[in-house]
Amino acid sequence: MPEGKSPLREVLPKQGQLSVEDVATMVLCKPKLLPLKSVTLEKLEKMQRDAQETVRQQEMAQREHQQQSQQ
Amino acid sequence: TGLEMEPLLQAWSCFRRRKFQLCPDLCSQLLEKSPGHQEPDSEFTVSQAAWILKTRALTEMVYVDEIDVDQEGIAEMMLDENAIAQVARPGTSLKLPGTSHGGGPTPAVRPVTQSGRPITGFVRPSTQSGRPGTMEQAIRTPRTAHTARPITSASGRYVRLGTASMLTNPEGPFINLSRLNLAKYAQKPKLAKALFEYIFHHENDVKNVNLRSTVAHIGEYPFTLFTSKSIYKNALDLAALATEHAQYKDWWWKVQIGKCYYRLGLYREAEKQFKSALKQQDMVDTILYLAKVYFRLDQPLTALHLFKQGLDRFPGEVTLLCGIARIYEEMNNIPLAAEYYREVLKQDNTHVEAIACIGSNHFYSDQPEIALRFYRTRRLLQMGVYNCQLFNNLGLCCFYAQQYDMTLTSLERALSLAENEEEAADVWYNLGHVAVGIGDLNLAYQCFKLTLANNNDHAEAYNNLAVLEMRRGHVEQARALLQTASSLAPHMYEPHFNFAALSDQVGDLQRSYIAAQKSKEAFPDHVDTQQLIKQLKQHFAML
Repeated sequence: MPEGKSPLREVLPKQGQLSVEDVATMVLCKPKLLPLKSVTLEKLEKMQRDAQETVRQQEMAQREHQQQSQQ
Repeated sequence: TGLEMEPLLQAWSCFRRRKFQLCPDLCSQLLEKSPGHQEPDSEFTVSQAAWILKTRALTEMVYVDEIDVDQEGIAEMMLDENAIAQVARPGTSLKLPGTSHGGGPTPAVRPVTQSGRPITGFVRPSTQSGRPGTMEQAIRTPRTAHTARPITSASGRYVRLGTASMLTNPEGPFINLSRLNLAKYAQKPKLAKALFEYIFHHENDVKNVNLRSTVAHIGEYPFTLFTSKSIYKNALDLAALATEHAQYKDWWWKVQIGKCYYRLGLYREAEKQFKSALKQQDMVDTILYLAKVYFRLDQPLTALHLFKQGLDRFPGEVTLLCGIARIYEEMNNIPLAAEYYREVLKQDNTHVEAIACIGSNHFYSDQPEIALRFYRTRRLLQMGVYNCQLFNNLGLCCFYAQQYDMTLTSLERALSLAENEEEAADVWYNLGHVAVGIGDLNLAYQCFKLTLANNNDHAEAYNNLAVLEMRRGHVEQARALLQTASSLAPHMYEPHFNFAALSDQVGDLQRSYIAAQKSKEAFPDHVDTQQLIKQLKQHFAML
């Protein structure tokens, strides 16, 4: 766009005072890159999950067994 | 039929192909057939071989690299009897996160962990939650879903591991430790080594019965309430007998004794053993174990020195370089850490930890496009890392590097790969940031809400929601959200500062001042906080 033909002209007052109030805005927490997991950690977590799963299954089986014997 | 494999060979083959479920079963069959079950005598060589093989297979099932496993319980951390001084000199301790060496990112750019360190690009078992500064913090953390820290004992996690395999074995333990004549086994070096590893890695499970009932109900925490120190005592006894039998000439046994002492919390004894082993046989592993001891004793400089000496003898050794980088990172000396991580990459171009750490450094030092290169084209994605975390990071890097086409697809994939609700929550949280970035505040609002739906303890999301609520003019909601955020994560300065700003706006100067002080504590260099405090002080002076 050639100069001077813009529909909007910037206004810079040559007289008087120009003041800008600096308003403190609230801050957002920053985006979070997720840390990658080490192999050991993944293995530990997997073993833990498996253990909990096994326990849960065993308990379920036990409970069923008890219920059956009660009947 | 003559086509069947010789049973022992078959078991051996299973072991070599890492079929650790099948191998012990085959061995058990062999052991049942032959007499001398449980008591391998020299006459029955086949049963002896089967016994060792089964022991090793059971060990392998739960084996984790001991160097990497490290977790401090709260009790050990707070009631640290090894601490020499209450307040360490700056630059000599891992417990003073504030001593930044300059050049590191401020909390204004890079989020910090609970202990005030910048978040890292890579988690290992020992970096999961950092060291909390006070007892209060320490006790509070395990309550949030994200960071599980054993409450009483370091051996918490170890107990868990043994349980895993034990549960699959309804007949009870393969080796009955209380009936074992350790002295006899110590005479047979080869048997003893296998047996030691079995006790150390597999047989953590002393209180099997108690654990069974509690674990299913409350999750993982009860595990941590039991210590398994008696087991390490067993392992230690065996190692001591064996090393005596080897006339103190076998460095391997010394390292094992050191490992036992370490787990028992006798760090100075462990140090002696490792040093003695190093004198006999120079090994990288032993150096790493010894450094772990110094790390636990909070002597990072000694550990650094040790690593550097090690590098003279093993030039370019990746684990040593990486150890140095980790220490610098823990000491909040990010530039030096990055330098050593680069050194690691020179030796090993596919080192995930180094790539991830350098990548996150670039991201938080305003170079997302370089970070993107580390995460995507150069390295990680090509190497086959394919998980929620990576795609989340890719998505974020893409967004901030202005590659908008990839952003949403990456984050979507991250969501679909999320393994649990916490991971999903983090991805939603970052999606919220993308929405804020494109100015779609409604979407952002929904994203942060979804974050909270997935993880009710997500302090950052509470804070950001509060900011959005303030924009809508809902002061009361914003205040409540900020209060939740600051009680969940007192180490973050954002909720404190926002609360101060909000209270200042509505004229509650007293509360504003208190919150501003908290914000200053969390992030002393924050300019807006400083200004707010100055302003408030002027107000108070005028009264």
